[in-house]
Amino acid sequence: MVLGRSPRACPGTAQALCRSSAQQGFIAMIEFLQQVLNGLAIGSVYTLVALGLTVVFGILGIAHFAHGSLAMFGGYLTFVFSTTMGIPFFAAIALAMPVGAIMGMLIERLAYRPVRDAPHINAFIIALGLTMMIEGGNLLMFGADQVIIQTPYQQVFEFGGLFVSQLRLVVFITAVSLVALVTVLLLKTKTGKSVRAVAQNRHAAVLMGVNVNFVSSVVFAISSALGVAAGALIGALLALAPGVGESFAVKGFAVLILGGLGSLPGAILGGLVLGVSESLAAGFLSSAYKDVISFLVMILVLLVMPQGLLGKK
Amino acid sequence: MKRNFGFPLVAGVAMVLGALALPHAMSTPYYIHLLTLALIWIVLAQGQNLTQGFVGYVSIAQAGFMGIGAYASTLLTVNFGFSVWMTLFLAPLFTGFAALLAGYPSLRVKGHYFSIVTLAYNMVIFIVLMTFSALTGGEAGIPNVPRPSELNLFGHVFSFEGRSNLNYYALALFCAALVTGLCAMVLHSRVGRVMLAIRQNEDLAEAMGVITSRYKLFAFVLSSMLAGLAGTLYAHYIGFLNPEPFGVDQSLNVILAVILGGSGTLMGPIVGAVSVTFLPEILRFADSFRLITYGLILVVATIFLPKGLVPLAMGLWRRLRSHAPSPKA
Repeated sequence: MVLGRSPRACPGTAQALCRSSAQQGFIAMIEFLQQVLNGLAIGSVYTLVALGLTVVFGILGIAHFAHGSLAMFGGYLTFVFSTTMGIPFFAAIALAMPVGAIMGMLIERLAYRPVRDAPHINAFIIALGLTMMIEGGNLLMFGADQVIIQTPYQQVFEFGGLFVSQLRLVVFITAVSLVALVTVLLLKTKTGKSVRAVAQNRHAAVLMGVNVNFVSSVVFAISSALGVAAGALIGALLALAPGVGESFAVKGFAVLILGGLGSLPGAILGGLVLGVSESLAAGFLSSAYKDVISFLVMILVLLVMPQGLLGKK
Repeated sequence: MKRNFGFPLVAGVAMVLGALALPHAMSTPYYIHLLTLALIWIVLAQGQNLTQGFVGYVSIAQAGFMGIGAYASTLLTVNFGFSVWMTLFLAPLFTGFAALLAGYPSLRVKGHYFSIVTLAYNMVIFIVLMTFSALTGGEAGIPNVPRPSELNLFGHVFSFEGRSNLNYYALALFCAALVTGLCAMVLHSRVGRVMLAIRQNEDLAEAMGVITSRYKLFAFVLSSMLAGLAGTLYAHYIGFLNPEPFGVDQSLNVILAVILGGSGTLMGPIVGAVSVTFLPEILRFADSFRLITYGLILVVATIFLPKGLVPLAMGLWRRLRSHAPSPKA
């Protein structure tokens, strides 16, 4: 952020005097905190993407790679609703989420269910095929140009030298609320209980009368709706473009690897860690290589603790 | 089980001779160009098949490693004056070394997660090729990548210059045949059997005392070396190098080639590579739908034809010869 660096400016000859080491340390500290703050916003979106992936993976054992492209589709849809048709941002997201949910259910029914009993690798290859199809569809429907969803949240707040943009705040709060909502849904409702039962032991759940087909549909609906919301937030915060979806799917999985497979708190922590480390890398090292650095973090975690930050051994 | 090596060997030689004669039956040079590309793709797909088909680990970095080979060879020839004949060996070795470094951490995760990590590698490679312009020329690329120098063989001088060059076609064919032979040797060796065992049941293989990670790393490194070779062949054939052909999309196309042809077979990648090279020509009327069509083929093939075209054709052939001795390929 350019704004965060403004205290650096020191006039002419006074420079040597005014940059005492203590002050420089303070400025570096402020800049560090600024990058952490910026990273939390994008990190919360990573958590949202990862949450959609982790419910599908935990319950159905599918590495649903097309999730990122579906999220991009949702982002584009939100863009059409809000910018082209003039619907308010959150209403547009609320309209796009059910569309995503229906698409997710169709994908589960038509593409994944036929290979449910085949080796897991087949489902993954299908996920890659779906990615190509959705990416192709996005390209055909929305074009190859970069798209940014315009929002009315353009203010910037200042807290003691730290700058917080209203948009980042809105994104963070939205993502956190959605993550909390889904967690409550999974932990407190009867459907949530059956979802967790299938995750724990599919055969036992079937014997207890859980309808696995219904659970699969519900899981894909929730996951895809979350993905659509994440896509809309990405479109507002960064931009939508071809290939962005794939990169977000990879980052979603990177979050799962970071946090530890199948761990919900791990996904939350992993998302924030990835977002913050990426933001720090962009601020202090190189913004062109920020993705490279975030993937290196993932590889480093794999090397040092393959079970992830919060995973079970 | 006794194996009869005579028939595959005769069939292989016949195929190579047939492929050598094929361009002479073509009237348009464009088809020779496509066939050369198809041969390069066979090298690429055979490499992919080592990990995807034999070990059952889908790597999504094949195009990235192809890029490493292509750039390594190009930079060595353009900047340091190496001969292309040298870099045909050096570039795959360099790629293999990169794969050794990359494979060690990534093979700590199993199944899908390995795929995701390799996908991250492909993205990293692509970003570096695009961004590190001082070395790679960035998006604008490197023009005038040289062809191999003239080869003097038994008094005949073979030149490799010009479009749709038949000698370059022969070189690519030689590499494709060599690589296929190598894969056949690996498949029928003890190492190959262990690789198949890992695909069938990794936990059981580990319980039997096999250090599976070594075999997985071996397959990954060898696979990447073949990708590097394909990249080298590609760069010096096309003559212009930029990062575009080494993105994730291309890696997905390699996976499609292996699945479509038949993963885990030796003929599968050949059929798949040729299909994927010629598919855009057939689908030319629907160019903007190409990505969708490829994806649809991948999904439909995985659901309805999970073993691929080659095992399907072989199954039909066996059914015709009803007295076939054993249903094992």
